[in-house]
Amino acid sequence: MYAFLTGPMFWLSLAVFIAGLFWRAVWYARGLDWQLDRVAYRAWPKEGARGAVRSVFRWLVPFGTRGWRVQPFMTVVFFLFHAGAVLAPVFLLAHNVFLESKLGVSLPALPRFLADALALLAVIAGLLLALRRVALPEVRILTDWRDGLVLALSLAPFITGLLARFQAGDYQFWLLAHIISGEAFLIAAPFTKLSHIVLFFMSRAQLGMDYGIKRGGMKGKGMAW
Amino acid sequence: MPEGQFCNKRPVNTDEELKALLGDTGGQKYYQEMKALEVDTALLWSTIQKTMKSRIKTWLSICAHCGMCADSCFIYRVSNRNPKQVPAYKIQSTLGEIVRRKGKVDNAFMHMAMETAWAKCTCCNRCGMYCPHGIDMGVMFGYLRGLLYQQGFVPWEMKIGAGMHRVYRAQMDVPNEEFVDTFQWMVEENQEEYPRLEVPVDKEGADILYTVNAREVKHYPEDLAEAAILFHIAGEDWTVTSEGWELTSLAMFAGDWEACKMQVTSVYGAMERLKPKRMVGTECGHAHRATVVEGPYWAGRKDGQTPVPSIHYVEWLAEALRTGKLKIDPEKRIKVPVTIQDSCNYIRNHGLKEVTREIISYIVEPGYFRDMSPNREHNYCCGGGGGFNGIGLYRRQRNEALKTKRDQILATGAELVLAPCHNCWDAIRDLIEEYEVPVKWSFLKPLILKMAVVPEHLKPRE
Amino acid sequence: MFKNILFATSATEASDHAARVAFNLARQYGAAVTVFHVLGVPTRGYSQVVVDVRTKESVQVDDEYRAWVVEEIKNQHGGEMKKAPQAVVEVCVGYPHREILRAVREKKPDLVVMGGTTGGDSVYKKALAGTTLQKVAKAAPCPVLAVAREAASFWGGFSSIVFGADFSKASDAAFDFSLKMAREAQCELHLFHAVDVGATLMGKIMDQDTIEGQIRESLNRIRGRYVAKMGDFKNYTMEVWEGIPSIEIVKFARERNADLIVMAHHARQADLEDSPMGSTMEQVIMRAGCPVISVNRLPKA
Ligand code: HEM
Ligand code: HEM
Ligand code: SF4
Ligand code: SF4
Repeated sequence: MYAFLTGPMFWLSLAVFIAGLFWRAVWYARGLDWQLDRVAYRAWPKEGARGAVRSVFRWLVPFGTRGWRVQPFMTVVFFLFHAGAVLAPVFLLAHNVFLESKLGVSLPALPRFLADALALLAVIAGLLLALRRVALPEVRILTDWRDGLVLALSLAPFITGLLARFQAGDYQFWLLAHIISGEAFLIAAPFTKLSHIVLFFMSRAQLGMDYGIKRGGMKGKGMAW
Repeated sequence: MPEGQFCNKRPVNTDEELKALLGDTGGQKYYQEMKALEVDTALLWSTIQKTMKSRIKTWLSICAHCGMCADSCFIYRVSNRNPKQVPAYKIQSTLGEIVRRKGKVDNAFMHMAMETAWAKCTCCNRCGMYCPHGIDMGVMFGYLRGLLYQQGFVPWEMKIGAGMHRVYRAQMDVPNEEFVDTFQWMVEENQEEYPRLEVPVDKEGADILYTVNAREVKHYPEDLAEAAILFHIAGEDWTVTSEGWELTSLAMFAGDWEACKMQVTSVYGAMERLKPKRMVGTECGHAHRATVVEGPYWAGRKDGQTPVPSIHYVEWLAEALRTGKLKIDPEKRIKVPVTIQDSCNYIRNHGLKEVTREIISYIVEPGYFRDMSPNREHNYCCGGGGGFNGIGLYRRQRNEALKTKRDQILATGAELVLAPCHNCWDAIRDLIEEYEVPVKWSFLKPLILKMAVVPEHLKPRE
Repeated sequence: MFKNILFATSATEASDHAARVAFNLARQYGAAVTVFHVLGVPTRGYSQVVVDVRTKESVQVDDEYRAWVVEEIKNQHGGEMKKAPQAVVEVCVGYPHREILRAVREKKPDLVVMGGTTGGDSVYKKALAGTTLQKVAKAAPCPVLAVAREAASFWGGFSSIVFGADFSKASDAAFDFSLKMAREAQCELHLFHAVDVGATLMGKIMDQDTIEGQIRESLNRIRGRYVAKMGDFKNYTMEVWEGIPSIEIVKFARERNADLIVMAHHARQADLEDSPMGSTMEQVIMRAGCPVISVNRLPKA
């Protein structure tokens, strides 16, 4: 079981994850249509790039946009969750040890306590996101079962990973559960809203190009996001 | 009766049809017929397959349902934060649902979608600035309007408006001759005060080609006079065209993309025929958006640009004031608390926020300007954008929506609101009337005219 | 003198006195009359909704509604309209001053007759500076006759005309018109000017010598500028008073039992908004016991 999960299944999920997300990005870019989208992408590459970069990076900075500033609670929760969601798994020592053994390459690793903290905060923030979903009427009305699933898929590896890490109960069980949930996450990503891992960048860049090329980017100082 | 006499899937293409439709007072019969209008689900789905590309598909599918767009929408805010007014909900329950059902929706659904597209969204694009994923619901509502228009589910006035553009290449029944004649009339009326005032028609190679809003011709031609006088005082080499003079596009509000193209190509035709150095349009927001920002795409211009550089009136004004072509008598600067309405269509959607502030710096006595909050590209819609002002069926909703701007204006303590946009101007007039708000409001032209210094050689000799 | 009269009515009582004048003139001169009413101001952008100027209600204007308004006008002015059976009634939608001017441009009447200003609460007032009357009087190429009060309405022929002179170019046109009227009616013409010692001097008190000097000078100017053009017309007087022009001219007209006042109205558009009391001409119309005609231009040759 363990061997299968860390062997073929690992490769498969990683491949689905990477190829899937790659495909979604390519599909997105190829589907852009200057006339239907009404953005002259090709005619103004420099202006487009400038707009795209601004649009993406401003939104990656906590409180970097008015949108973030006017909703401080959401901003804090969002960034706590995503800091953990992105940094913890990628720069986790255990993961990189595992990668090293598989691929022979690894990324620098975070200090343990930091990784722990990030992971824990991500779980807490994730739970707050869930709470927000039920508590706020404007979010509740938007929510459907898929949102719950995506949140569960995202949180499961963290919870199981932490339980394994702190050896709460049966280590083997939690490790197995962790690997299963992790692989489920990787496989699901391209097919669910988790595809926003790449599509966030595509979509933001597109709107940035729209503003950069057509909607005022060539006038004045440009959009103050 | 699937297709009505008035309410059907055919656009209005002749004057007779237009008159007949107008004759149906308030669209009573029209809306009656709409109740029986059949949805061509096959057409709906094939249109979506042809025209909905990765951008909108992705927007619909990656929406995190996080609700961060909720508070950005002024209509949501004025409707007591009714969750059904959350932008993401509005678009998911209409366009999103049509896609999920592969176009298989019924008449009742289309009625709901129509109300959502025209009475719950003004296409102000503000939500797009507040969505972390950059999902622009205003753009999607524009797209949805196109689908609804194609199926005949469009408010009566919008169908008429689009028809006007088809028949007259103008938003009202103003024939070309009437435009030229009215402009000449206005010039004559003012020749006593400005002896050498004239309106050059169809002059080739002029520095400026001036385009207008048909409503100026029809209802307040003073605006044409003011434009002529200001160009005259500024010593501009300008002209108007006897064909393709209309800057606006109700077809854009209606979602009639074919009519949009017809309209802008008439203006671009004038540009190509008269070869002016640039085009200056009147103080209208949606018109600028239609002809300058979106129009090139409808017309299939790959660089997304108009045939000659085209600017909004505020850009010309700022430039004329900056370069000293127009001089303001410092004594006559505005000395009452004053604010400015940032039109979504050229501030948020065409980056002209600095220019309008520059104008303020020349015409308002320091210390009297009060910006609204929020302002510039974050400003709220006037409450009447996207066609909302004109639709009788949704008058009640529109009046509700005006409250946002009312409160914003009141909070500034301003006594005068500058509204360099026809739609905003209308909405502000209506909110002043509806809620008895004690402020004045104005386009820029009449104000500038009052304070501009007329060069000696242009004054009448007594 | 008058062959084609455009009577611009508010279709309310406020225009009754003007109606009497319009139709009496029409009968006297055998003129054709168009009764013209701007029934509503367009509202809400490009919507078809119009605010009816009389009822202040939002209405959808269609043929039926127009026909109804035409009937209403016939009821309102029916008695007077009998005097000119060929009179036609026309209604339209728009800003009143602009539509009246548009009609003037199309129909080229030789006289426009209007009622007084209908108070401050009118629907279009807020949108535009100045009153309909001011705007029409300023821009119309033909004389504009206004009647505000019942006492001012005109019953028969003319026997005494007062010309209020202000020595401007527009005033020359007003003079030409007065003279023509007086010749035609074979009546008295009183050339009058008031030296303004009032508001426009911002409280500065003029001493008596200055005033008298100005009066003398004005009399000379009247002689030079107007009397010189009168040829064989002898039935005239001239007079210069001091005071606030709008008041003095009304007083003078009463004294001379005038049945018509003619003056120029040439405020700059931009000034209209700044004079809260309206122009001199409007003051005169409000107070005068006879119709007031505003003339700004010589008829186009
Ligand atoms: C660089 C990568 C990523 C970016 C830029 C990004 C960005 C975003 C944005 C803009 C949203 C919408 C706003 C919100 O709901 O808070 C979002 C939502 C979400 N993201 Fe990410 N994300 C990234 C990676 C991830 C990863 C790796 C995970 C999972 C482990 C994840 C899970 C989620 C979840 C569950 C939501 C929905 C939150 C909710 O329920 O409100 N994201 N992300
Ligand atoms: C695909 C297969 C995966 C494998 C083989 C794997 C393996 C591991 C291992 C061996 C550990 C160490 C447990 C310990 O400390 O003893 C771990 C921890 C962890 N993993 Fe994974 N993992 C996978 C996927 C994921 C994914 C997709 C995520 C997150 C989205 C994730 C998040 C975590 C977290 C948060 C921890 C605990 C961090 C800490 O506090 O140290 N893992 N994982
Ligand atoms: S802010 Fe964007 S992602 Fe969030 S609900 Fe609104 S549209 Fe969807
Ligand atoms: S475009 Fe404007 S009106 Fe429409 S949903 Fe977005 S914020 Fe609301």
